[in-house]
Amino acid sequence: MLLSRVAESLYWINRYLERAENISRFVEVSEAMSLDCPPGSAEPWLPLIDASSDRETFDSRFPDKKQDDVINFLIRDRLNPNSIISCIQMARENSRQIRDVMTSEMWEQINILYWNLQEGESIWELPRQEQLSEIRRGCQLFYGITDATLSKDLACQFSILGRLLERADKTSRILDVKYYLLLPSLDELGGVLDELQWIALLRSAGAYQMFRKAEQNSIKPNSVARFLLLDNNFPRSVRYCLDGISNTLKMIDKNPISDNPSKLECMRGLLKAKWSYIRIEDIINNGLHEAIDSLQIDLNKLHILIQDKYFINKEFD
Amino acid sequence: MFSNYRPKNNYDEYFKDNLNSAREILAPLLSALDNMGIKELNRNHSAAKKLLLRHGATFRLNDTGLKGTERILPFDPLPRIISKDDWKTLEEGLKQRLEAIDLFLDDVYNSQNIINDGIIPRELIESSDGWRPQMLGFKPPLNKWCQISGLDLIRDGKGTWHVLEDNLRCPSGVAYFLENRLVMKNIFPNLFSGRIVKPIDDYPSYLLKTLKELSVWTDTPKIVLLTPGIFNSAYFEHSYLAQEMGIQLVQGHDLVCIDDYAYLKTTSGLKRVDVIYRRIDDDFLDPIHFRKDSYLGVSGLLDVMRAGHVALANAPGTGLADDKMIYSFVPKIIKYFLNEEPIIKNVETYICYYEKDREYVLKNLPKLVVKSVSEAGGYGMLIGPQSTTTEIKEFSDKIKKNPRNFIAQPTLELSTVPSLCDGELYPCHVDLRPYILRGKDSWVSPGGLTRVALRKGSLVVNSSQGGGCKDTWVVGN
Repeated sequence: MLLSRVAESLYWINRYLERAENISRFVEVSEAMSLDCPPGSAEPWLPLIDASSDRETFDSRFPDKKQDDVINFLIRDRLNPNSIISCIQMARENSRQIRDVMTSEMWEQINILYWNLQEGESIWELPRQEQLSEIRRGCQLFYGITDATLSKDLACQFSILGRLLERADKTSRILDVKYYLLLPSLDELGGVLDELQWIALLRSAGAYQMFRKAEQNSIKPNSVARFLLLDNNFPRSVRYCLDGISNTLKMIDKNPISDNPSKLECMRGLLKAKWSYIRIEDIINNGLHEAIDSLQIDLNKLHILIQDKYFINKEFD
Repeated sequence: MFSNYRPKNNYDEYFKDNLNSAREILAPLLSALDNMGIKELNRNHSAAKKLLLRHGATFRLNDTGLKGTERILPFDPLPRIISKDDWKTLEEGLKQRLEAIDLFLDDVYNSQNIINDGIIPRELIESSDGWRPQMLGFKPPLNKWCQISGLDLIRDGKGTWHVLEDNLRCPSGVAYFLENRLVMKNIFPNLFSGRIVKPIDDYPSYLLKTLKELSVWTDTPKIVLLTPGIFNSAYFEHSYLAQEMGIQLVQGHDLVCIDDYAYLKTTSGLKRVDVIYRRIDDDFLDPIHFRKDSYLGVSGLLDVMRAGHVALANAPGTGLADDKMIYSFVPKIIKYFLNEEPIIKNVETYICYYEKDREYVLKNLPKLVVKSVSEAGGYGMLIGPQSTTTEIKEFSDKIKKNPRNFIAQPTLELSTVPSLCDGELYPCHVDLRPYILRGKDSWVSPGGLTRVALRKGSLVVNSSQGGGCKDTWVVGN
């Protein structure tokens, strides 16, 4: 038995941490890559902000669009609700509310992560790459502790649900944003910079090594898109996440599917089918951006249906 | 270690008259401290603070919100030691006092013999902030009103123990009491130096047992802890206790009352609740029967309780007995209901409601401590010897305006225990809050939370006023 409020907190703690982890990946990779770009230009950075759809807020506050502004906005800006620091603060606030459900090891990990990121802490004296990998490791440690200490019951299932939903969303956004930025250079087939860019894209999604294992050929846009969207085994691919979401939702609602399935049930099955039985060629031909757009709309709908069914008890409010 | 330490003139719990006359019971600790040295003590003190922060043993001052400062309750590493013999007396005294208070509450909300027999005037009871006429005629499960209480004890200049206050409305601090011991064991294991300190880890087990016994209708009750939420200054404790007992931590909007039953809103529908350890005040418990503007409580909870379908710990209305004026009647209450003399004495108290007492108080304000009967946490107080003439004048007007609201006590020289102040040892004033649990049996936590005034010279030990805490050891001689 799990309180609706607690289920919601667990779901969001994991979404926030997954978000923080993804942002640190973006920035880590982009910074390494920017060394290959003309100095001082912010252009390659802005897609990072597009990927979290915060472009308007950013533009209004930082009209100069300097590289440091972008990095600051993404990592330490408390006014940006999607910055790493805000995500971790929200994850901790939610954790504080449900400390009776978390194991104390989980709580300590998220608590220490939060305190380590306060102004004046020693992490900010490290080189940026170290800061980011520290944050990324902090989030991953939390997943590991959750996996190793929390009973595999509803609490665990709602955690996984939040994590996978956020991950599917972020992987697809990274692809969406970077893919179009990279496409124009397609004409200069096989340029060195081009290959570097694709490698960077894979790295932002934490996918480079696993991609190499799966694909020994030279890196082609199609194969990158296939890997990130449709790989059956890579844990950050959209298909893998949707599979996990579908299984988790079935575990949460133990009842067999009824003759007249609920809206949530329909959406779960539909999404799973849609992304299980599709070929990358068809996605590309019909427009990659359109496919990702519709995926994000579907993920939003799924979120609202989960919220209505499990987090808000509409009938007695 | 203690070469720069200067005990004050009052009762020092480590030393009798001077540094050469340490109390016998302290010997093993003092030699362990000497081996450690002040440098290491300070170093470990910082480690202890970090550990408390990592555990999240923090509180927020006065609802400062998300951006507010969150801090740990200052922790002092020098333990406070109480002998087993002293403790035995205190334990008996506390049980006796609570037994009498429970009988008193049951009486005033039902047959009112103590009023009819002229022991306490009706007017004093019905004008108390803690009086809840909604509870008239109510009989709680097991006939017990105060399942959980935490009384404040002090030692005067001669070392004699007194009860200073009865806290019967969700007293807090027990998580720090448990956490302090954990920190001492982790960071200062050497100070224990082989001697047996009475363990306290079983508090959550006893608390759970106590709560469980309240559901006289089922052997497998659903028990929850009701918290006002993360902005409450005691939130750490609420989550800590829920976790230690393995019960759910809930907020008002997680509960709903339908047809005289209380339910939890869960991901798989409504689930019945039997026992609620509530950590919100009476006033906010049920907007239908108490404060209408409360968002923290649950509508209809009082009706469910009256129908006998849910038990609340503590029962609403217990605040009557921790009114500081009713406090002054407790010796009479013990005599009336148990026909016994109080084992632990009260502090001498002047009741401004009575003309004779009031005259004395108004004449002697500079040497008295005046307290508002309804306020806790060290607020609404006048400490005569430390106040200016203007402050005294203001208070004297307040007393004349509303005499029922004030009591006065002589300024007590609270006992002191050496504590770290700015890296040095300094005699700091302490009190003690032991916790008493009452289900089918009574149980008292060995020792309790020692609160210490860590500002030099300060007498106020409340955490909201710069106080801290210490581990408390009950040990054999």
